[in-house]
Amino acid sequence: MTCRKAKKLIPLYAGDDLRPRLERAVRAHIDACPACGKEIGEYRLALARIKAAAKEESVPDWSDGEWKALMARVRPAASETKRPVVLARPRWAAASVLGAFLGLAVLTMLIKDGNWEPREVSPVTGPEVVSLTMVSQETGLQVVWFLDKNFEWKGDNN
Amino acid sequence: MRMNETEKELIEMVLSGRAEAFEPLVTPYRGPLLALAYRLTCNREEALEVVQEALLRAFRSLGRFDVSRSFRNWLFQIAANEARDRLRRRSRERAAFDEAVQGTPAAENPETGHDRQEIRSDLMRCLNVLSPRERDVFVLRDLEELDIRETALALGCSSLSVRVSLSAARRKIRQAIRENFPHLEEGR
Repeated sequence: MTCRKAKKLIPLYAGDDLRPRLERAVRAHIDACPACGKEIGEYRLALARIKAAAKEESVPDWSDGEWKALMARVRPAASETKRPVVLARPRWAAASVLGAFLGLAVLTMLIKDGNWEPREVSPVTGPEVVSLTMVSQETGLQVVWFLDKNFEWKGDNN
Repeated sequence: MRMNETEKELIEMVLSGRAEAFEPLVTPYRGPLLALAYRLTCNREEALEVVQEALLRAFRSLGRFDVSRSFRNWLFQIAANEARDRLRRRSRERAAFDEAVQGTPAAENPETGHDRQEIRSDLMRCLNVLSPRERDVFVLRDLEELDIRETALALGCSSLSVRVSLSAARRKIRQAIRENFPHLEEGR
């Protein structure tokens, strides 16, 4: 291993974060290279100092009021989480199921029918006259209205 | 750091509906969580909000917690995610505000992403030379002493990415100590 490659790996080596194979290679290099060995020492010292500074640093702590307020917020959250969970199904899954169902239905119809040729269908014609019957529940009296297809009154049976 | 039996029992109690067991479960971590959030956000008020949100999230997702993991590291993961989301949101809001006020897009500088900073110590000044990602990695790995795998898990990235950022962070920290804080290097 060259010094150039070793220097790239030294920051990780200093914190024991290299994979074993690379760690062995760097160790072999520093055994033979005092300059790289010194650099590792400097990294380790810097890391140790900053870790010590972190331990000594006074980090702001919770006041009891803040902590209690937070725990009070968790309690209502507990009742929310007890609600039954409804799994959201993805839309593509629903679309796939629908597509498969329709495909199956069409296939079944084709197999049942056995006829793949399109058939001529006679046009649907609506009734010329529509009747509307009203019956009185008290007297049994019936009134029937006749309307044409444009809903114009044509007469009644009374 | 593995989970102890008391933690397991408390988790089971919370999951069985006894919400009051959550407080003794998380109380041992109230200080470390706030310290982590403070180092990531550089602001006490923001750190308090980060921990509040993180603990609420932890409560809601306790059922999905993998008991083979360290509970402390799991809480740290949630807090680190919350801090990261918050910093991103704040950065976006600030950029939008600057754009609205000045009429020009604000240049985003990852080195100065922490506005409203409360730089009170040499340590915080040293951390200030790091980019947000380097800072997350350095705080979790070197100050909170999570291993590489747990750090990667906490930040939602690969171990390789953690190693790359960690290497850069240590290089910058060493440089900052040499140039600006020689008394730290000498142990004063």
